[in-house]
Amino acid sequence: MDKKIKKFLKDAVRVAPKVSNKGELFELRNGLVSKYPQTRKDAIKKTIQQMTIGKDVSPLFPDVLKNIATSDIEQKKLVYLYVINYAQTHPELCILAVNTFVTDAQDPNPLIRCMAIRTMSMIRVDMILDHVEGPLRKTLQDDNPYVRKTAVLCVAKLFHLNRELCISLNMITDLISALDDSNLMVVANTIASLTDIYEMDSSVVPLPLLIQSHITQLLHALSECTEWARITILGALAQCDAKDSIQAQDIIGRVTPHLQHVNPAVVLSSVKVIVKNLDLLPSELQKQPTDKVSTALVSLMSTPPEMQYVALRNIRILLQKYPELLSKELPIFYVKFNDPLYVKLEKLDIMVRLVSTSNLKQCSLLLAELREYAMEFEPEFVLKAIQAISQLAIKFAYANDSTSATKFVTKALDILCTLLQDRDTFQDECLVSICDLLRYDSQLANLPLPIVSSWTDADSHLVTDSGKCNYIWMLGQYRFPNAEEKLQQFIDTFAQQGHSTQLSILLTVVKLSRQLPDTTLQHVLKLATTETQDIDIRDMAMLYWRCLSLPNADKLVEDLSNAKLPPLTSTLDQFSPELLHSLLQELSTLSSIYYKPLSQFKRRTVQHSSVQGKALDELTSMAHAEIAKNLNSETLLDLDSDSTNVPNANIKGGSALEELSDLFNFTGDSLLDKPMQKMTIQEGKQVPANGSAKDLMDLF
Amino acid sequence: MGNLFSSMFDRLWGVNKELRILILGLDGAGKTTILYRLQVGEVVTTKPTIGFNVETLTYKNLKLNVWDLGGQTSIRPYWRCYYANTAAVIFVVDSTDKDRMAIASKELHMMLQEEELQDAALLVFANKQDQPGALSASEVSKELKLAELKDRSWSIVASSAIKGEGITEGLDWLIDVVKEEQL
Repeated sequence: MDKKIKKFLKDAVRVAPKVSNKGELFELRNGLVSKYPQTRKDAIKKTIQQMTIGKDVSPLFPDVLKNIATSDIEQKKLVYLYVINYAQTHPELCILAVNTFVTDAQDPNPLIRCMAIRTMSMIRVDMILDHVEGPLRKTLQDDNPYVRKTAVLCVAKLFHLNRELCISLNMITDLISALDDSNLMVVANTIASLTDIYEMDSSVVPLPLLIQSHITQLLHALSECTEWARITILGALAQCDAKDSIQAQDIIGRVTPHLQHVNPAVVLSSVKVIVKNLDLLPSELQKQPTDKVSTALVSLMSTPPEMQYVALRNIRILLQKYPELLSKELPIFYVKFNDPLYVKLEKLDIMVRLVSTSNLKQCSLLLAELREYAMEFEPEFVLKAIQAISQLAIKFAYANDSTSATKFVTKALDILCTLLQDRDTFQDECLVSICDLLRYDSQLANLPLPIVSSWTDADSHLVTDSGKCNYIWMLGQYRFPNAEEKLQQFIDTFAQQGHSTQLSILLTVVKLSRQLPDTTLQHVLKLATTETQDIDIRDMAMLYWRCLSLPNADKLVEDLSNAKLPPLTSTLDQFSPELLHSLLQELSTLSSIYYKPLSQFKRRTVQHSSVQGKALDELTSMAHAEIAKNLNSETLLDLDSDSTNVPNANIKGGSALEELSDLFNFTGDSLLDKPMQKMTIQEGKQVPANGSAKDLMDLF
Repeated sequence: MGNLFSSMFDRLWGVNKELRILILGLDGAGKTTILYRLQVGEVVTTKPTIGFNVETLTYKNLKLNVWDLGGQTSIRPYWRCYYANTAAVIFVVDSTDKDRMAIASKELHMMLQEEELQDAALLVFANKQDQPGALSASEVSKELKLAELKDRSWSIVASSAIKGEGITEGLDWLIDVVKEEQL
């Protein structure tokens, strides 16, 4: 019964389908131009709804725009949203909104003033930008700080959209005067805006000077503003140099509380500012800030793994400058089983750098820890752990006296030997690490030798180029039994081996030339000169061949192959001082994660004219072609006195060089007239082609 | 559904109903000045309107939604976007600008041919009567060829927006006509 009634009702009460056959847009348009305000508002809501689910409602632009003039703030917001979204597809219709924007920018309601100015500077339509001046200038002087704050940011947006207009309107001057605003929020946003403009074009704003002169305001603003504004201010503070130690102390004092901020970006930015000013302090005052920084960094280790990663990359930079910074905190950096791989790898790197070499107990603990890591299953992690063992051993041994050093290295070597036997898939890396240790202390060779020399078929144990290279080096260095046979395996497959292995084969064969039959040496030299594409190896072989043909060949070869290798002091890679300096300035930015200074991220501006640029391009390619040609023809490597007085690469070849001389107005024609064509190749190092182009450019 | 009912309700009782009135004319004719004369009863300093101004005013118990559209050549093509649901058009002419009377006439007739404006009443303000050398209402009417208009209630009123003369008279006429048509 119930069902029947329900069915009857369902049939009786007919619901009109929402979308008529004329289509949704037609319905919406009807709604938008309705005589009734409520209906129009509903239609706008529907339109925005369609827009957000990705439907193209841009044909409704003029109709939606009509509703922009309303006192209903909610409706206004919706229309603004729509306008921002579709302004680019309907630039010509945007002109209809200009008057409303201008009127709204004078609205009594500050929220509407903000919205108008914000939207206006967001729309990338020239016609709108032409009218932005008046409203923007007015809002920059607004009574309401919120409006001023928005206007200040809009200047940067305007600069981004149309640089020339922004400069010709002299907006930047207005912006700079906003730095003296009484509201600290406005000051913070002005700095953000100025920084943006400075990044786009550093010639427009003297930002460092401005920061310098407003340092007190900025320090006051620091605690008043939101976290993101804080980061901007801290970034600005990090860019300027404090006048003296008193100011540096003041800055550090003001910034230190922010080390406890919950946002890691604020923490890292604060660290950046402190590190920047730390050097200015007298050394007895440095301890306290350093301790605070170290505590802050430790606290970053309890953040999610992505942030930990960023923190670890930054710590790596800091550690090079302040090796003692976190030395007491080693246990936090121990790898947890559930850390993601990228964090584990960074932690490994940090730990070896962190450990204090004066603390034997800590080092031993770390060694044991690393040994555990080497038993894990993730290949990259294990590889890195094995490397870390030798790095740690060398670091410790270098800093300590010989008895404890030997003891420690022996222990490390012992671990590595065990690993070499146990972990089949990581033998390459173990061998490389062992060789590193042997280079540090060759007396310890009796430990790994029995294992390595027992391999009958080394090719099956070793996969990587570096592994094989190190194996062959050991063959030459420690005179294995059956060395000849073992070497022969590699000589047979010479052409298939990698660069380092080939080089290593060549060196070892020369070194062992006494024990090996003469034919082997000849064979290898021939292979190295004919079978390989690698220039270094070929030239090396040439060099040896010439040495062997000299009268006192045996002595010479003996000297060459028994030359002492420079002792290893550290196998940890370090930044160059310049790189370190720029990275410390750019902590907590992308460059601190990529270890690349900011300047490398930006596309370099072309200094010379296009004609010159083209000429240089051509020159470079000519130089490349010329070098290739020389290499393909008979190369004469001259080791006579000539090689000493040729500092620049001198490429001689018919037409190319004549053009070069034309372009560069060579005066030293004697260089060109030299009959011999040479390339400076010293010890198998080839001067790269662009290097020579650079030299030529210096002449220019 | 709810919208349908509420709008039906509104329509039946005439609640919340707004009359759309457009103010059109060549640039510099005084449209914006007239709009604000109506709205606040004062003369405001205006800048050329890029786009439009819209004000809602209550006049004789009627809610009027008055749209003042920019008259510059570049904006005139967009007038058509605003024609839908328009009850009346106020066309403002600068009576001193004899040179452009022909253009004004052309624009007016072109606009009135639009389908959507077939039922709209037309009020012409021969504005700027305070200026010396202004044409009288009948002269303007002749220049604009208003006599050619068929099937349309229209009127021309001499006005001065600056002095406030003629504006209310014109609007009174317009409201009467519109009321008749709407009810």
